[in-house]
Amino acid sequence: MLEIIKNMWRRKTRTILTVAGIAIGIFALIVMGSIAEKLNLLVSGGTNYYKDKVIVTAKGNTFSLTPMLLSKKPEIEKVQGVQAVFGETYATLSSDLKAVSFGPPASIVSEQYGASKYESFQTNIARGRKLNENDRGKAVIGSDLVKKLNADVGKNITLHGMKFQVVGVYEKTFTTPDTSVAVPFADGQQIMYKDQPEIIRKSIEPSQIVYGFVVYPDKGTNPDTLATRIEKDVNDVTAIGPKAFSDQVTSSVGIFNSMIYGIAVISLLIGTLSIVNTMTMSISERVREIGVKKAVGAKNRNIMTEYLTEAGVIGFIGGLIGLGLGALLVNVLNSAMQQTGDTIFLLTPRLAIGALIFSIIIGVIAGIYPASHAVRLSIVKSLREE
Amino acid sequence: MTKTILKLNNLRKVYIMGVKKDAERAQKVIKKTHVKYEKASASGDKQTANNLYEKLEHAQELFAAEKYVDSYKYLTGKNIRPDKKEKGVVVHALNGINLEIKEGEMLAIMGPSGSGKSTLLNMLGLLDEPTTGQIFIRDTNVTSIRKNKLPEIRSKELGFVFQSFNLIPTLTAIENVMLPLKYSRTPMFERRRLATQALQKVGLDDRLHHTPNELSGGQKQRVAIARSIVNNPAIIFGDELTGELDTKMTREVMQLVIDLNKNGQTFVIVTHNPDVAKLCGRTITIIDGKVAKNK
Repeated sequence: MLEIIKNMWRRKTRTILTVAGIAIGIFALIVMGSIAEKLNLLVSGGTNYYKDKVIVTAKGNTFSLTPMLLSKKPEIEKVQGVQAVFGETYATLSSDLKAVSFGPPASIVSEQYGASKYESFQTNIARGRKLNENDRGKAVIGSDLVKKLNADVGKNITLHGMKFQVVGVYEKTFTTPDTSVAVPFADGQQIMYKDQPEIIRKSIEPSQIVYGFVVYPDKGTNPDTLATRIEKDVNDVTAIGPKAFSDQVTSSVGIFNSMIYGIAVISLLIGTLSIVNTMTMSISERVREIGVKKAVGAKNRNIMTEYLTEAGVIGFIGGLIGLGLGALLVNVLNSAMQQTGDTIFLLTPRLAIGALIFSIIIGVIAGIYPASHAVRLSIVKSLREE
Repeated sequence: MTKTILKLNNLRKVYIMGVKKDAERAQKVIKKTHVKYEKASASGDKQTANNLYEKLEHAQELFAAEKYVDSYKYLTGKNIRPDKKEKGVVVHALNGINLEIKEGEMLAIMGPSGSGKSTLLNMLGLLDEPTTGQIFIRDTNVTSIRKNKLPEIRSKELGFVFQSFNLIPTLTAIENVMLPLKYSRTPMFERRRLATQALQKVGLDDRLHHTPNELSGGQKQRVAIARSIVNNPAIIFGDELTGELDTKMTREVMQLVIDLNKNGQTFVIVTHNPDVAKLCGRTITIIDGKVAKNK
């Protein structure tokens, strides 16, 4: 290994530039990959949430905020295969919707009491308690909002002009609940009502307003089949089952992922070519040494291993530097964004380890051509080389 | 007798050191010892029987040396021809060379430039392969064995010293000398010990950690010689090994070669220098790819 380091250090500038090429590629992979990882986790959380239920909203407005009336609930309950229906409200935490937001924006949510009995997607409480049936003016906040709202258990917060006392903080999930505030259903209705244009407010009672319904199917009923049945049996609603969610979200996330990984891979490709160039140059300068090594007993396998290891080490060092720089940037940006509760990077161990292994593999692959050229050299010709 | 045998771990040297008679005597000793051993065993004298058994084992070992006596001709080249195409033309660098190299010999190969002496050295040293002809190491026809076995033979049986030293510039003297041991898979601690010993033999034990650019030409060549002897090879090939040295350094290096040869090391040296050739026991002169003189 010492010999390999010495060889790399023969041409310092060239080695440093090659390592820098790989480091930039891995840096891009880490930063872009962290965005993809965060998005994937959000999607995976969503998929997990939607897997056993149907979400019913106003017709034609799949992910919009158009309100519905609570009076629709009995109609939905009558549909065959429905076990339980709960109204839910939704409002963005900030009154102004951001023009650009990564993932769902921070939100205020509420649901009719009792849904947790049917809910498989449980969010645990890190400190404090959950909401009770008779609570009013109480809130449980997501872990990312502690800093943003400067709130914690026992403190008061103001949401859309209404005062709430924080009674609990959710455990970190790295998904949507981290940026959500859960409030009692009646309070959620008040907030949603206040957010509506006057024309809607005039036509609806606050106690009747809901964003939509969470529908839990009977045991043995396929949620996708149930969603189709609800849309057929209940007028003016859109019902989304797990498959519909997957179709709408996962595919677009897949395209996004391909794009960002594609950019990172292009950066890495440039780094790879620079290793090929470096190793080819290095071997052409060391032809005589290869001849000497073979003359004193080195097998082709030994020569191949030496050069592939050298290329792998270049890849590894570049990968390590890229990972370090990428992790640093991701942490700095996440810390800065934590103030707004909108973190967009997630550096997972699998991404970090994967990127490092990838950098070594790239180094080794880049070394194959020059190394195989080195082993093909005849001893006598190599020894004649100046 | 036992002490003599114990010293003769390397059986190849049994013959070189002129103890062939010991090998012949060993046969007689084996017979006699065997009789004594059987008597001692029968009488129940275990200690005597054990001692005799040990002696018997050593004697049998020496007896085995007889096969090396038969392989007196260590390296044999028969009708060596490396006819190679260069730019579409077949070049006959050698026209069927026949020669034998004996263990413990110091052989010089001389001849004008382009006569084929370096080509011959490359063939004998298994750095290149002849298109026709055969090369034998002891009884083994190395031209017929698989190519991937050759590095092992080069590493364990052969050593090389080149005109331009051919040391790896980034490695220290000891690391350069350790190189053949690395490829023969000698354990790390053993490599260091053997390399230090080899550098001591060439008088460079105070230059172990110097890189080639910190050494004089003579010192570099001595490191190269240390590298060639570190695996205790049967034969060392020197290609113009004094070619880049001044007279004083040539004398120093050749004295070292002579000393090693006196201890039984076989050398084959390609040289232009008649003074170097004079120091060798036998000189072959090659002209136009043929052995013109052999004396």
